[in-house]
Amino acid sequence: MSKLMSWVDARFPLSKFIKEDLTDYPTPRNLSYWWNFGFLAGFVLVLQIISGIFLAMHYKADASLAFDSVEHIMREVNYGWLIRYVHSTGASAFFAVIFIHMARTLYYGSYRAPRELMWWTGQGLLLLLMATAFMGYLLPWGQMSYWGAQVITNLFRATPFIGDEVVVWLRGGFSIGDATLTRFFALHYLFPFLIVAVVLIHLVALHSVKSSNPSGINLAEKDNIPFHPYFTAKDFYGLGVFLIIFCYFVFFMPQFFIEADNNIPANPLKTPTHIVPEWYFLPFYAILRSIPDLLGGVIAMGLSVMIFAAMPFLDRSSIPGGARYRPFYRVLFYVFVIDVIVLGYVGAKPPTGVLVVVGQVSTFIYFGLFALLPFLSIKEDKWLRKRGLPAEVDVLIKSESEEIEKKAKKNT
Amino acid sequence: MMAMNNCARFIILTLSAMWLNVFFVSAGFATTSNFPLENIKFTQDQASLQRGAKIYYDVCRLCHSLKYIKYKVLQEIGFTKEQVDLLRGDIPISASLSKTSSDKMLNSQYGQVPPDLSLMAKARKHGPQYIYTLLTTYSEKEGVYENAVFPGIKMPDALNVANAIDESLKQEIKSKAKDVTEFLLWSSDPRAAVRKTIGTYVVIYFLILSVMLYFIMKRVWSRLDKEK
Repeated sequence: MSKLMSWVDARFPLSKFIKEDLTDYPTPRNLSYWWNFGFLAGFVLVLQIISGIFLAMHYKADASLAFDSVEHIMREVNYGWLIRYVHSTGASAFFAVIFIHMARTLYYGSYRAPRELMWWTGQGLLLLLMATAFMGYLLPWGQMSYWGAQVITNLFRATPFIGDEVVVWLRGGFSIGDATLTRFFALHYLFPFLIVAVVLIHLVALHSVKSSNPSGINLAEKDNIPFHPYFTAKDFYGLGVFLIIFCYFVFFMPQFFIEADNNIPANPLKTPTHIVPEWYFLPFYAILRSIPDLLGGVIAMGLSVMIFAAMPFLDRSSIPGGARYRPFYRVLFYVFVIDVIVLGYVGAKPPTGVLVVVGQVSTFIYFGLFALLPFLSIKEDKWLRKRGLPAEVDVLIKSESEEIEKKAKKNT
Repeated sequence: MMAMNNCARFIILTLSAMWLNVFFVSAGFATTSNFPLENIKFTQDQASLQRGAKIYYDVCRLCHSLKYIKYKVLQEIGFTKEQVDLLRGDIPISASLSKTSSDKMLNSQYGQVPPDLSLMAKARKHGPQYIYTLLTTYSEKEGVYENAVFPGIKMPDALNVANAIDESLKQEIKSKAKDVTEFLLWSSDPRAAVRKTIGTYVVIYFLILSVMLYFIMKRVWSRLDKEK
């Protein structure tokens, strides 16, 4: 065995990789359970790819067969219902986990230097995930699949000058049809592998800058512990808890994330009374609808997703630990979370009466918070420095930097 | 203690994040009529399913197909091979339950082809309650039929609710409506019973596994305290 390993190691840094990036990979010991969600996202990605490949073995990407083939999977394929419900519930679980992962990054300010590239590759992953989920939703070929795709592809009509041509080009016809279904299927199969590639880049960046931690301070060597066994144990415990909740939905409430209308085969002649996107798109959908102009709405929606990328520039504070040690930023964070929930609610309801105004106000607050951040973070920084940081932070910064300096001297 | 606290918080937050979705998803539905649906529970017991299957076979099948249910699958709700053979006559056992009237005839009579019922219990919000209430809220005024759940419905009063004056007859019709709804609920998801049985074991398994993983984690992390 050891002979084989040394043969491989002479040609490929296998032992080195296992040691440096898996077992001995230094991880801050103070990470809370909020740091579990990156691992969980990776798990759900694998789960989606595996269940998806098995679904593809029985699914037929043909407008006249797609709906029946899904029912065939549900009723006749051995454990087909399990594979299908794992995949459909997995989509929602993926977004739930990713939203928590993003909220953790925002709360603790983990997007700040030197982790900007982690944040930006993460932003790319979010876009890929959204595209994959959107295309996957068309495949069951139910009423909501069909009309959701119709509404969303129609948004590209807002493209200046060539809008109508772009829409026809995307759909492969004047409306959603067989051509759209086959291309969405092909891309829905391709995109997860692009996601895997970007996840690898995300991880390479992570292993270069290492995990952030709740204190927001670079910890000295003594406070970093090997990934294995400490964080393998912790991540697997988190995975167990996740699986309890996930399996509860898969086995007992599998239709929960599926619109009733999507159990009706797509009918191009009959528009559902109320077209709603999947829950994970609702806040962005609400922003789209809040702007009366189509082009303006599309731009606002795009911006609402992409604006996260600007966080490293918008946040000017040098106080470590994100919202933990920054009272104003903490208020901003919670207002943002509540605002997103309100937007989600507005997005799920028909746009009538007072909800239109609520949607517009929430959209204004959504962007307003980002706009406010540069000024607020500078002011807050000055105020906190003048007032003095909490004693525990000061002590921690001092002791950790002394430790790091000592180590550096030793090495030279 | 602190860690326990954290772990409780973690579970609560994850759960609430998932439950918020529930709220949004259910908030998304617009019902065609605001008539309150009767909130009855469905038990999926075999006697009721079999009665429901017979009602479907004698009444609904005239106009509604059940294309995802094959004759052989009826054995899953307790019919014997002989009973199924009696029902199907010379139709192959692997054939789907199809309607007896032709599309052309139905089209000329109702102006449209009545929908397939295989997925009806999943294709409406609160599907089973919707079907039950729809079947039991027909009324008649001067020879014109109306339905409280679905105003302007084309379907006739299949179970004759509108003309049932006698209380015991009304009760009989209601139990018929419940039976046929039970059957349609089963048809929409014949794997539901298996799913729930397996699900119970799976969830219990992960519960026990998580408790064990929690103690493994505690034990591994306690090494750090010893080092100090």
